[in-house]
Amino acid sequence: MTPFHPGDRVRVRPAEKPGHVRAPDYLKGRSGWISCVLGHFPNPEDVAYGLSGMPEKTLYRVSFRQSNLWDGYEGPDGDRLYADVYEHWLEPEGER
Amino acid sequence: MSEVHPHEEVRPERSPYAARIRAMEALLVEKSVLTEAEIQDRIEYMDSRTPANGAKLVARAWTDPDFKERLLSDAKSAARELGLDATHEAELIVVENTPVVHNLIVCTLCSCYPRAVLGRPPDWYKSFEYRSRAVREPRAVMREFGFEPEEGIEVAVHDSTADARYMVLPMRPEGTKNMDEEELAALLTRDALIGVSAPQAPSRAS
Amino acid sequence: MSGVHDIGGSSGGPIDQSQHDVEDWERLADAINSALGGKGLQTTDQHRRAIESLPNYRDLGYYERWTAATEKLLIENGILTQAEIDEKASEIERRWGGS
Repeated sequence: MTPFHPGDRVRVRPAEKPGHVRAPDYLKGRSGWISCVLGHFPNPEDVAYGLSGMPEKTLYRVSFRQSNLWDGYEGPDGDRLYADVYEHWLEPEGER
Repeated sequence: MSEVHPHEEVRPERSPYAARIRAMEALLVEKSVLTEAEIQDRIEYMDSRTPANGAKLVARAWTDPDFKERLLSDAKSAARELGLDATHEAELIVVENTPVVHNLIVCTLCSCYPRAVLGRPPDWYKSFEYRSRAVREPRAVMREFGFEPEEGIEVAVHDSTADARYMVLPMRPEGTKNMDEEELAALLTRDALIGVSAPQAPSRAS
Repeated sequence: MSGVHDIGGSSGGPIDQSQHDVEDWERLADAINSALGGKGLQTTDQHRRAIESLPNYRDLGYYERWTAATEKLLIENGILTQAEIDEKASEIERRWGGS
């Protein structure tokens, strides 16, 4: 999968996936920006079931505008939320 | 519910899970999976970790700009420099408060917490209320803790959704120029290192 | 909702800021969990998954969830059996005078 770079606009896949998932519901379908690359790690969603989690997945810190996440968000437009999201939960913004 | 309710006068029931964990302990030791010494070591190690660890890191960062850079780029190594063991954390990241940004830490999915530098998380951090509201209404949450960022400061919430654990590096308060590291560390509360509040300036002129 | 634990953004009331004294059994839950991890007998990810799958997740306290998840994993990983844990726990409760 093509890696993302800081500044890239991304969307969290609005997918339903059974089992252990580390992309929280409140971010699914939401768009933000890659803040930085945090590294490469075994996929925790597989490790959770005793699997190796290999090959490693890239973990990104993604930033979101709070006013994009919540209706009636109380705070200025500059307020942000950061979450650490694995590559397989991200797609380039605009892709369907 | 077995959690202690502070307003009840009746002695709370012991959780049924107390006997279960004791049972597991006894069996694991019987079967030589773990030893009592190993278990006791872990208890002592966990008891020894307190927010004083985090406070020490911040106080050093306030007085030593090079250390501060190291703390922000590789917190585990920086912790090691001060004799703190952060090896159990998968990753430790320190985020800096500035005149433009105030940071707040939460783990909505489970209550991950930077135990190496802060010890055990407080009950409120693990509560459903904090986990659910900190992401959606951080400013209202901070107000409950008696704190409001200054006008013009933006709030950045960090949801620890992977294995990185986060700690806040607060801004050094005004009026602390002549304080030594120990005095500075004493200004730092656990709550300020999580981000629900900020360290207070000393009440007397320094 | 993808899971009962996935609560970011859901509504909630005021945050109770009171703190209970950590009990010895809770310290033990912490320690055993950590020790098992240190020996490679369980991972953080397995433990999280086990917690998330607890049917009574919302009814349990934090360390109760931890304990229940550790128990589940010990059985799943074939280290202990349900029967022996049940038996030992009953024995301990009896020794304590039935709570």
